[in-house]
Amino acid sequence: MTVDPNAATQGFPSPEPVRPRAGAARYLVPALVAAAVAVALGVYGRVHDPAGTAFNIAGFSSTSAVKSWLATTAFFFALVQLVSALMVYGKLPGPRWASKLHRWSGRIAFLVAVPVAVHCLYALGYQTYETRVLWHSILGCFFFGVFSAKMLLLRSERLPGWLLPLVGGLVFTALTLIWLTSALWFFRTFGVTT
Amino acid sequence: MKRPGPLFTLLAGLLLGLFMLSLNATTGSEAVSSTPKKKPPTAAASPAPTKTTTPPSPSPSRVSVPDASYAGRTDDDSSAVAVTVRDRKAIAYFCDGRAKESWLKGDVKDDGSMRLTGKNGDVLNGTLKEGKRISGTADVGGGHYGFTADKAKKPGGLYRATATVRGAKVDGGWIVLPGGKQVGIVTRDGDPQAAPVIDPETGAVTVDGQQLTARPATP
Repeated sequence: MTVDPNAATQGFPSPEPVRPRAGAARYLVPALVAAAVAVALGVYGRVHDPAGTAFNIAGFSSTSAVKSWLATTAFFFALVQLVSALMVYGKLPGPRWASKLHRWSGRIAFLVAVPVAVHCLYALGYQTYETRVLWHSILGCFFFGVFSAKMLLLRSERLPGWLLPLVGGLVFTALTLIWLTSALWFFRTFGVTT
Repeated sequence: MKRPGPLFTLLAGLLLGLFMLSLNATTGSEAVSSTPKKKPPTAAASPAPTKTTTPPSPSPSRVSVPDASYAGRTDDDSSAVAVTVRDRKAIAYFCDGRAKESWLKGDVKDDGSMRLTGKNGDVLNGTLKEGKRISGTADVGGGHYGFTADKAKKPGGLYRATATVRGAKVDGGWIVLPGGKQVGIVTRDGDPQAAPVIDPETGAVTVDGQQLTARPATP
């Protein structure tokens, strides 16, 4: 009797060892992307020659006013984010479309914040000449990093229950502090102008 | 790895950001001079959408003099000097942050040298080197100082505010050095004193309870 050398052999052990690595990647990839985004923004703001100015939108007295209102819009939607998140998690009574509200208010807040950040980085850069400015620069870079992490984490399933609220809370806190150190300061210094 | 929504959100933000950036780089070129003030287009302004700091091919006889601001300290570290060049004209400010200050003006010659003069016989002789820095000497208020002023990035540079506050003529000058440190003097009816700090982004400053706006000084 001969043995068929090409006979199907017993399969390799089921791909058990791969599992933990895939599990780690679920956290590692968002964390690395977040760090890369934050560092890249900071380096760009630090290295390139700030242009000092960029195009303005008609009807506003200055780009700072435009940015302040855009930032305030983003902050408003961030508050919607907080409330709708509490609804999704059942901490507050809410409608069935609370998760949809959360998704879309988040998208709007993010997309409204992007032009502000572009102007900041293009015209002003990463600056450190004052405590307020330093924190604003750091948090601005941090915000887009941690937001990227939040978006990527959303794609994973079966995360620890505390993770998304924690990262979401960081996003919200960062945006709030950014708003306090820029738009609120602007309104207090120059008045609530357009 | 299921929901594509968050990825689309990130992608949309990235595209929007790049779109805004390209819009800034192309339409912003005429306003790219580092002052918010409107100025006529100059021969030195390059039409390239990206802001290049190096002047295009300087000829040996006539040095290209880009519009720019320069800020630095005197060699003895006692005072600050800032120079702003526009259309081959220059304005300079010498300031020790306490009592001694001087505004000086003049033309930039073809070889990049300049002789700027101020009140009471104050003179500043400087040479623009490689479009990166101005070095030279300043004779201000009886003192003789060597100085070097490097090309200043926003918000660095030279700022001035003039106003009348409660009947007193107020004239303030500020030099924002690389790194953000400020040296300034506010003169009230001829009496110079250390100036309060300005917000370099907006020029906002409060003098004797009055809100003023310091603007980039131009020749």
